[in-house]
Amino acid sequence: MASVRAERDPFQLRALPHDDVFFYCKRIDNSRLVREHDVRAHGACWGAIGGAAAVLVLLAGLLSFSVANTVAGYKLQALRAEERKLQDESRTLDLQAAELLRPDRLVELARKQNMVTPSSQQVFHLETRADGTVAMVK
Amino acid sequence: MVERRLTWLVRIVLLWGAAIFLKLVSLQVLHHQEYAKKARMRQELVVPLPGPRGTIYDRSGQPLAMSVPTVSVYINPLKVPDLEVASDLLARALHIDRTPLDDAMKLAYENKRGFLWVKRRIEPDEAKCLLDMHREWIFLEQEPQRHYPKGTLAAHVLGSVDFEETGNAGIEKSLDGDLRGEDGQMRMLTDVKRRGIESQLDAEAHPGAPITLTIDERLQFVAEREIAAAVEAHHAVSGSVVVMVPTTGELLAVASYPTYDPNLPPQPSENFARQNHAVSVPFEPGSCFKVITLSAALETTHLTPESLINCHGGVLALPGRVVHDSHAGLGIIPMAMVLAKSSNIGAIEVGMRVGQQNMMEYMRRFGFGQKTGIELPAESGGKVRKRWGTTSLASVSMGQEVSVTTLQLAQATSIIANGGYLVRPRLVLQKGGQTLPAGRQGTPKVRVLKPDTVITMRNMMEGVVLHGTGTAARLEGYSVGGKTGSAQIFDFASKHYTHTYNGSFLGFAPLTNPAIVVVVSLNGTHGNAGFGGAAAAPVFHTVAAEALRILEVPKDIPDEPVLVAAKQDTDDLAISEGDPDEPNILQDSDEDGEPAAPPAPIVGPLVPAPRNGEPEAAGPKVPDFRGMSMREVLAEATARGLTVQPDGSGVARVQKPPAGAILRQGEIIRVQFAR
Repeated sequence: MASVRAERDPFQLRALPHDDVFFYCKRIDNSRLVREHDVRAHGACWGAIGGAAAVLVLLAGLLSFSVANTVAGYKLQALRAEERKLQDESRTLDLQAAELLRPDRLVELARKQNMVTPSSQQVFHLETRADGTVAMVK
Repeated sequence: MVERRLTWLVRIVLLWGAAIFLKLVSLQVLHHQEYAKKARMRQELVVPLPGPRGTIYDRSGQPLAMSVPTVSVYINPLKVPDLEVASDLLARALHIDRTPLDDAMKLAYENKRGFLWVKRRIEPDEAKCLLDMHREWIFLEQEPQRHYPKGTLAAHVLGSVDFEETGNAGIEKSLDGDLRGEDGQMRMLTDVKRRGIESQLDAEAHPGAPITLTIDERLQFVAEREIAAAVEAHHAVSGSVVVMVPTTGELLAVASYPTYDPNLPPQPSENFARQNHAVSVPFEPGSCFKVITLSAALETTHLTPESLINCHGGVLALPGRVVHDSHAGLGIIPMAMVLAKSSNIGAIEVGMRVGQQNMMEYMRRFGFGQKTGIELPAESGGKVRKRWGTTSLASVSMGQEVSVTTLQLAQATSIIANGGYLVRPRLVLQKGGQTLPAGRQGTPKVRVLKPDTVITMRNMMEGVVLHGTGTAARLEGYSVGGKTGSAQIFDFASKHYTHTYNGSFLGFAPLTNPAIVVVVSLNGTHGNAGFGGAAAAPVFHTVAAEALRILEVPKDIPDEPVLVAAKQDTDDLAISEGDPDEPNILQDSDEDGEPAAPPAPIVGPLVPAPRNGEPEAAGPKVPDFRGMSMREVLAEATARGLTVQPDGSGVARVQKPPAGAILRQGEIIRVQFAR
């Protein structure tokens, strides 16, 4: 036969083990409670929020320097690597230019174009004057 | 109850904290070095900063030698998973033979060697191919490679470098300390993708100092081309050309043939070609040396160009030997003709009047038997005997029993060309961007010949070119002074002079204010066509004409075509039959030995040295002719060795260049006369 479980007092708390002491909650009706407007507490709350935001901004500001530094470091190293590469390329191009200006090659090219060496004092150099005109140097 | 729980909680927290603390101590204190090293290996990249070897330029700024970065490849054989596959892979990528590479890799692996060069200085596309493979056992290293973009041009002057870029010849060797760069190093913090974040400089790179030579690339090319053609045409063994500015000693060209390509590694068969014949190989100058004999005679005796000299009909018997003149039948002729016709007996007669002591003194004054001090290794000082035999004076008077280099002859000719001063030849114009002053610091300028002796010698040397043995050296529009030389080559085996010759020519132009000195020598020519007048003078003609054109030297005589007789008198051979037991100057190594390294001080009237940094005047100052009559102007100009072009009549009113101006080499003073 099934025993009917006695209805439990809803305000009785769970008993502590091995103790015959029972605790009950006090029934309180707050339905008519109205929060009183507390200006100081309100201010303190917003103050805390503002302070936290300021700390956050400060931290972000401090951190941004580090981030900017790292980003600049990336750029700087990339530029340095590019500078070294360009210097190497420049030297290689200088070498190629020097090889192209070999006297024997120039003589051969001139010969193919039917060019001849000018005789002594046949060449007159031009100089630029102050007024921008170009005149022969004699 | 609650207190017990709290106690346990605190204990656990403390234990946890202690564990963390101990781990931190382990990481930061006990194993700090190990973890720092691991972190560095993962995060840091060591970047080498190349300090390339200095570039060598010619006087117009054209690079003659320069270093460019290249990539070399090496592997760690101990990390290679499959040696055969790896060698096949590398051989295909680097276009090398697989078998020797495979053998080398196996040997390295067996010997537990973790490093093996596969190929040095590879091509960029080969490097890219290797990078694309992404193999952890392949390593690429950047290293510089020396290039000589002009090929064989000035090879003997520049020299070459070995695999470690250390100079082993030429300027590369003598100025190795200045040219050598110093590599630097930088440590770079990288992210996981090996991108640089920040870097720290460990050692700064120091590039080598750039060197600018006095050599003119265009003139060097012409000199090399002409001497090569002459050596081939006359079936000679070797040849050399030196072009020098007589007032400053700057060498515009130093050509030597046979030559070599410094870009290629040296071969054992190239030893002869790698010798700088202009600087390192002395020879008996023959008749060229008569210039020294006659200069000494003008200074120490009462002989003049008009003084009559007995040439004894072309045969002269000396104690133990007979000297033949190449021109039979020369009797009593003026001393100027002795030089023009290159009479050996005439030169001996003149030399006898000079005397042994004076001859030795003037040989020393002209710089023979001493190194010139040029910035090249292995320079020969030539030989001048200290103990002279009974016929040594006669031999030396006609250019035997003395050995000289082409460079020494150029230095001696410059004395006559620059007004009588000994000017040391030099090759380096600028070092590290700083222009080096002409002449040696602190050494006084030494006068060797008096001005009137110089003028007389110039006129006599012009006679050699106009109607003597050197007519092939005549130039259109320029007056030329010179001297031919043809010396028999001594055979050390038979101890006799052979019928192969050293044909040489020394000269300068224009005559009044010489801008250049050119000396040509050909070693091992044959027959009459191998004499100096026939073999070397034409080389002088081409090289000097090109030099005067490049230097834009004004012409000093009417521009008429040069007419050279079909049958030239080029016979200036120094012939002597002597005792075969007597050692030759090139052979013996008796008391003459190696001359002292620093040039010996030369006795003579000293002229104050130019102050440091003060540019030395390149030519004479123009006198003030204004108010003088034409006769007075011409007399004054002749006395100073200047050329004047008069115009009009009366007294000198206007002159160009103005009085006090420095006269450029070869420049003529134009004087306008009016009443």
